[in-house]
Amino acid sequence: MTAHRARSASVGLGVVTLALWVMDVVRQLQLGIADSGLAFYAVAGVAGVAVAVAVARQPGREQMGLVLAGWLFVSVLDDLSVDWPVSRTATTGWMLAHGLAPAAYGLMVLAYPSGRVRARSERALVGLAVAFGLVWMGAPLLFFHPGDCTTCAPRVSSLLYTATTFDYLPVGQASWAAFIALGVWFVALLVRRLRAAPPGARATLLPLGLAVFFAAAEFVAQRIVWLGGWAGPLPALDWVDRANALVLPLAIFAGLAAIRSRRGPLGDLVVELGRARPGEVGRALSGTLGDPTLELALWLPDRRAFVDEAGEPVDTTSIPDGRALTVIGPPGEPLAALIHDDRLLGQRSLLEAAGSAGRLALENTRLQAELRAQLAELRASRARIVETADAERRRLERDLHDGAQQRLLALGLALQLLRDGSGDHELLVQAEAELQTALRELRDLARGIHPTILTEQGLLAAVRSLGDRAPVPVRVEGPDERYPLALETAVYFVIAEALANVAKHAGASTTVVSLARENGRLRVEIADDGCGGALARPGGGLQGLVDRVATVGGTFAIASERGAGTTLQVEVPCES
Amino acid sequence: MRVVIADDSAVVREGLRHALEAHGHEVVGTATDGDELLDCVRREQPHVALVDIRMPPTHTSEGLDAASAIRERSPDVALLVLSQYVDADYALTLLRENPARSGYLLKDRITDLTALLEAIERVGRGETVVDTELVELLLHRPASESRLAQLSDRERTVLALLAEGLSDRAIAGRLWLTQKTVETHVRHILAKLSLPPDADHNRRVLAVLTFLRSQG
Repeated sequence: MTAHRARSASVGLGVVTLALWVMDVVRQLQLGIADSGLAFYAVAGVAGVAVAVAVARQPGREQMGLVLAGWLFVSVLDDLSVDWPVSRTATTGWMLAHGLAPAAYGLMVLAYPSGRVRARSERALVGLAVAFGLVWMGAPLLFFHPGDCTTCAPRVSSLLYTATTFDYLPVGQASWAAFIALGVWFVALLVRRLRAAPPGARATLLPLGLAVFFAAAEFVAQRIVWLGGWAGPLPALDWVDRANALVLPLAIFAGLAAIRSRRGPLGDLVVELGRARPGEVGRALSGTLGDPTLELALWLPDRRAFVDEAGEPVDTTSIPDGRALTVIGPPGEPLAALIHDDRLLGQRSLLEAAGSAGRLALENTRLQAELRAQLAELRASRARIVETADAERRRLERDLHDGAQQRLLALGLALQLLRDGSGDHELLVQAEAELQTALRELRDLARGIHPTILTEQGLLAAVRSLGDRAPVPVRVEGPDERYPLALETAVYFVIAEALANVAKHAGASTTVVSLARENGRLRVEIADDGCGGALARPGGGLQGLVDRVATVGGTFAIASERGAGTTLQVEVPCES
Repeated sequence: MRVVIADDSAVVREGLRHALEAHGHEVVGTATDGDELLDCVRREQPHVALVDIRMPPTHTSEGLDAASAIRERSPDVALLVLSQYVDADYALTLLRENPARSGYLLKDRITDLTALLEAIERVGRGETVVDTELVELLLHRPASESRLAQLSDRERTVLALLAEGLSDRAIAGRLWLTQKTVETHVRHILAKLSLPPDADHNRRVLAVLTFLRSQG
């Protein structure tokens, strides 16, 4: 049933129930059998219906309101005075209502708080209670003889009541046994539900539990009075009976209110966390839990340490008096921790619920922090690559200007002088030397820009050629294979820079460069036997290597203990 | 003429010394950076200082700074600045304060000894020298066409020579015209470009250069 129809049905049933109630009260007044309890009975009825309608009007509670209104309807039918002018319809209605009242009661209690009975055992109980009610009151209907009924008007005795004799006693006894069995089962289900409820949720079940206890106690008391044969029902018990119509709806209302009051701050938290920017999750949690001193610590698995939202380390080992630590997430791999006022421990369940609600946001915060760190690194490395390229261009321009260009100018000057006849043989020799030097400088420069041997003969040959020019003896090992040009170039320059570093800083007597292809990756190792102690400082030469390797998606590792030489390991993915 | 040479390349320094001395100039000192140049100029008070723009420590425009300092301390020393690339800003920076006795040449000109020697002579005489290539560059920028379109071809040629710093007489000699005709052309050119008819030739050169530059 849709929420809208359930709500309409609740209101409809409520109106019919109220009308019946009013009719009953008026009838009792007319008959002069009204007593002091009647006013209370009337007020309880009106209030009960009002509560049922109020529940049905709460979003998500329409079904519960309908179940409640249904029980009130059955109850009022059940309670209708037998002093009504008897008709077949009225009697049938009254008897069916009487039979179904226990089922309606059980349904209402078990359907709390959703309005639906979900557990199989609870559905079975409700089903059996309905069947019981139909048999219990339906059987007499079928076999009832008007003669047995002293107050029945003669016109009842037709059609439906066909049996001539009906021994009600065995049916009555069996009914009682069944009724008690169902009652015990009902109580057992309720107890089980109370026990299974999480600690925090018990408060929401308590009002209804008390109301059921109240009703059960009244019922048992009534039976004891009846079995004891005391004359007439005790007025006090009648009052209790009448109060039931109000107590139960109120209990349900109170329970639902308790659920709402618990869900309120958590609901707000979920909404707030949805809007919270990174850095505000702690504040949202602090507001929800009502502890302004609450601190949020995020767990960083890489560092195996807690940090605050700004990334500063948080000490979770020494918690001062009056403070307490609540860890969110599985114990082995926590997600976060809250450091809070220890009085909050009394609301452990709320703490846990808040932690669960915040889990997604916390996870996000952590991921975002990680992502931001990676992005910052990426930007920095991109900027460094651009800077390096600019520096490289400046160096090339300087080399060209200071080298070849000057020499060619000098050569031009010399040729002028020779043409004018003001030069001698020595100038000619000088000019030739300038030309040779200019050519060599251009050649070296061109190799620095891009070594032809790399394109033509591949990485191994190019690295060997590098080694031949290095001031420190270099041994090159590895298979002669070709790789994509971008990869060969990157690796070539990494090795070139590494060898330059070895020559400049290491004071090594030998260097080994080894290349190997493994599992679709090119592994390069450059090991020297120099002084070690190299560090990848920002802005240092090694940082340039790291960046270059990163451009082709590779990884870079360095082992450089002081006195134990330096080993660089570079791994670059290469499709085979 | 007494000349000092400032260039951080020994090859160029020595080559220039050789070439200038071979053509009757006296190289009274050489310098490898701005400070050395200032010392040398103060000590020798040469007629002409031949200054490479790029010198240590930053290899950008130290030569211009040194030239400016020389202008201030020894205003009588003529300056011929050699530039790696033609750059109007460099030229205007040099000429702005006092266009007389200032020259801006592309460094490649040192392989054209005739042009170099002529430029040294001219700045030494107190003229302004602007490299042909810079004038060409400024004259042929597309944006300057509109204002310059009013000039006849002949006027254009005269304007280019004027911008290079040639005197009316030198222009007349170059174009086989009478000096009177060149003077008429120059008057027309200045009028068409709305430039003030300045009596001082070097100031006129600066005005023309500034005009060409502003047409960007």
